[in-house]
Amino acid sequence: MATLTDEQVDFIARAIRAHGIRLEGLQDNLLDHICILVEQGMEQGGNFEELLAKVFRSCYRENLYELEEEALFLASVKGPRLVLSRTRFFWLLIGVFLLPFVLYFQLAFFHCLPTNFDVMPAVFLRWYLVGSVWPLLSLLVIFFTPERFDPLIPRHAKILLGGGSLIRVFRYEACEVSA
Amino acid sequence: MHWYFMYISSMVYSTELLKGTLKTIVLKLLADNKKMYGYEITQRVKEVTGDKIQITEGALYPTLHALEADKLVTIEVEYIGKRVRKYYSLSPTGKARAKEKVSELSSFIQTMTVLLDLKTKSI
Repeated sequence: MATLTDEQVDFIARAIRAHGIRLEGLQDNLLDHICILVEQGMEQGGNFEELLAKVFRSCYRENLYELEEEALFLASVKGPRLVLSRTRFFWLLIGVFLLPFVLYFQLAFFHCLPTNFDVMPAVFLRWYLVGSVWPLLSLLVIFFTPERFDPLIPRHAKILLGGGSLIRVFRYEACEVSA
Repeated sequence: MHWYFMYISSMVYSTELLKGTLKTIVLKLLADNKKMYGYEITQRVKEVTGDKIQITEGALYPTLHALEADKLVTIEVEYIGKRVRKYYSLSPTGKARAKEKVSELSSFIQTMTVLLDLKTKSI
């Protein structure tokens, strides 16, 4: 049975950390798993560097960090929760800002506002309009920012509301796969 | 839509069928074996299912991490040179959960057998 040297094991451990894996338990598991696969390949006459690259590539689709995201996601989904796509999350936020306007104009349209209710809500509405312009613009800018500029919430991200944390953004689509 | 195909790969079953069963598979394997480490679990699944289901590291380790966070498994560590091998075994809560999950899945399979009339019809 081929055995990796301490230097080779260290090299793999560094590579795992360099790929963004921060959870110590996950680092240990991946290190052991990758070492076993590389050792098996070397047993059949394979080259360490080539085998390592091949094994690494088989672990993920875009980035090894996907595994940590998935681990954090699975560990954090407890209790009532809602998982939204990026688009739905932004529509939810924009809806929160626009809802008072929609409600106000609907009430006004159907003449449901009390007769002496026109002064106070109009003032409130104006200030609300001023106050909500900046968040709305910020939301639109973030929403339409191309992925290459690394926005706060990348495309294909999943947003977890509830489930143990208030809001959590998962960069990869790998979330929500397990029971 | 998502990347489930890279997490549990199968030449026979669609990923939709396998979705949601991983935790049950891992818990049952740990219930049947005193302690297991990650690679051993992947190999056991492969062996038992005759290569029909292969659990990759991308699926297994996040699930083991979640089981650990839920205190369903306990860990023993063995040092092999400079690397650490983590052996997982079920905690008392984990044993109870394993029974629950297997029973739930078994009940689901029975329901589907009746619903799809699989005993009488050959597809």
